[in-house]
Amino acid sequence: MLTHAINILLSGIFHAAILFLVAAGLQLVFGVQRIFNLACGSFYALGAYTGVSAVNAFIRLGLPHELFLLALIGAGVCLALIGPLIEWLLRFVYERDEALQLLFTFALVLMFEDIIRLIWGPSPLSTGSLYLIYGQVTALGVTVPVYNLIVIAAGLVIALLMGAMLARTRFGRIIRATAENREMSAAMGVNLRAVYVKVFTLGTMLGTLGGALVIPATATMSEMGIELIVEAFAVVVIGGLGSMRGALVGALVVGILRAVAISTYPELEMVLMYLIVIGVLVLRPQGLFGEPAV
Amino acid sequence: MGDDEKGKQAMQTTRRDLLKGVGAMAVGGGLLGMPAVLRAQARTGVPAAPVKIGILAIQSGVGAPVGAAGLRGAEWWTARVNAAGGILGRQVELVVEEESSPKETVERFRKLALQTKVEVISGGISTAVGLALGPVAEELAMLWLSWDATTQKGVEETMPTPQWSFRSVDNEAEAIGGAILTAKHFPEMKTIAGLNNDYSYGRDCWDAFQAALKHFLPDVKPVLDLWPKLGVTDFTAHIAAIQQAKPDLLMTSFWSADTTIFLKQAAAVGLFNTMKGCFTTGGGVHDSLKKSFTPEGLILGYNSMYFHDAQASPLLKAFVRDYRAKYNEYPPYECDHAYFTLEAYKAAVEKAYQAANEWPTQAQVAKALEGMEVESLSGTRSYREDHIMMCNFFQGITTHKNDFDFVTIDPVEVLPTTRITKPPGSKLYDWIRSWT
Repeated sequence: MLTHAINILLSGIFHAAILFLVAAGLQLVFGVQRIFNLACGSFYALGAYTGVSAVNAFIRLGLPHELFLLALIGAGVCLALIGPLIEWLLRFVYERDEALQLLFTFALVLMFEDIIRLIWGPSPLSTGSLYLIYGQVTALGVTVPVYNLIVIAAGLVIALLMGAMLARTRFGRIIRATAENREMSAAMGVNLRAVYVKVFTLGTMLGTLGGALVIPATATMSEMGIELIVEAFAVVVIGGLGSMRGALVGALVVGILRAVAISTYPELEMVLMYLIVIGVLVLRPQGLFGEPAV
Repeated sequence: MGDDEKGKQAMQTTRRDLLKGVGAMAVGGGLLGMPAVLRAQARTGVPAAPVKIGILAIQSGVGAPVGAAGLRGAEWWTARVNAAGGILGRQVELVVEEESSPKETVERFRKLALQTKVEVISGGISTAVGLALGPVAEELAMLWLSWDATTQKGVEETMPTPQWSFRSVDNEAEAIGGAILTAKHFPEMKTIAGLNNDYSYGRDCWDAFQAALKHFLPDVKPVLDLWPKLGVTDFTAHIAAIQQAKPDLLMTSFWSADTTIFLKQAAAVGLFNTMKGCFTTGGGVHDSLKKSFTPEGLILGYNSMYFHDAQASPLLKAFVRDYRAKYNEYPPYECDHAYFTLEAYKAAVEKAYQAANEWPTQAQVAKALEGMEVESLSGTRSYREDHIMMCNFFQGITTHKNDFDFVTIDPVEVLPTTRITKPPGSKLYDWIRSWT
């Protein structure tokens, strides 16, 4: 019984780590720019596909297989370069109606799906058996691949780094100030344009990293971007829009609940998650950590 | 058309030079052109224009590799047939459309039938798409040869007596084959678990597998059934549930990229160290099942074509060789579904032509297809009178003893459809119950 609970927990936390990365990017962008960027799913997909290409190139160059993670992280980080480009496009919808913003970012999602198909083709791609290269760890009757633990650790480290950045650095203070009151921050001399670009790029990087890190365990799939948006949406509603802590807790809730549902009532997997979303919307609409609407 | 002009020029010189010119062109011109045009003109009632064949192939998503395989099989067939002069002298022209959602695929089917006016449509892999296309083919009186896409239940409801639709093998065949092999190789099984995609194919396979297995091992109990959607890429939670349930055997009807992903994630936790596995349809992505994460000793089904068959015909050997050279992969079964439908079509056209003495109508071809038997890549395949494909299925036990980096099977069991699909007019579960 204990082994099973630990198994479920670990599988849930692995999924949550990836979800957190993408949701954190979403929250950052929403908090500062007040845009719900559906294209986070596309960044996730782009990170995955680019990750596969980077790793395959890495292997072809004859570099040591054990270091393939570096290629992955490198791909995820470098892709952040598309951030400024997309941010520039989004400028057209900053002050506009939310519905228009959603439509616009969803249009981006669809465009990215085709761009990805154009570049990488329609077939699923994977990094082969590199997933298994770090072996497994067995404890308390539970076997877990070391790679999963690495991803969980990475998620945790990034969460801590984000927290530290937001709380202790000047940039973090500026982000929080801009999120709280944009006009006042501008009046105090904050360069809003520069902040928007930096925040969006950071948000993009979190999404692409998430995609890159998950790919060794699975394979790329054409609809992976859209599928993730559905889950990221649930995470953000549960956690509260704009809250980093909300992203973490929301991701854990969604990830673990999904794992629990699959083990107990598999048919309810999706239903359970959305029951929670509805519950949160009814009982505490701002989410667990969001600010109540004034 | 250039050869035509050359012909005219030759005639302007002398009749003798014409004969010399024709000979030179036949040698120098190559595959297409003069010889085919001559042959076409030699047949009465056969138009010279190419015959258009519509192809529906999955091009994206989890089934993309399978769709690509079918398309490649069709293209290989077309190149060979065209090199040999085409069908009754008419060159074959494939018109390829994408198979995606049922609604979109129906639209493309209509376009092929009504706008492009193809003579036959070959394709269809996903069950949902098959269920949608059947009634449309009947409504439009459009000859449709399905590659896969038809399982028992749904088809009984939507296509009871098809006239224009020619169905694939009843898809539960591989589940029944898997049950037969499970009973043969793993008779000590007491508990089973099922991991199948949550749609009709997955559901029907799990039901058929259990029903067939019960015949041989009546005490077997199912302890868990899981239903991930087609396209799920994270099975860690499912694997945890399977480990908790501790079945003696896990059965799965995964047929596309999720097979590989699942095996990889299962290997990461050593799932098959503690249980047996039956992958009824995993052969669809066989060369992605690398030895590094696919253990020996699993039952693996290759559907209706096994590329490494020791009894492979020269045709299959040539196909495997060309496929490998062109795509750096080894062909899966979908290639032969596509090849067979086209080869059967060609044979039916030729047969109907004998009777009609002109290029046959779709109705005449449909009649000729019933009972048609041809030599396909995997061996002899045929259409039964009730429009269902008959062939051999290949399943076996995975082994690492080969020169590839992926698994193959040894021993190979050849299961004819007469053994694993219900006879005409009978109902599946009644038929299974009637086994001796």
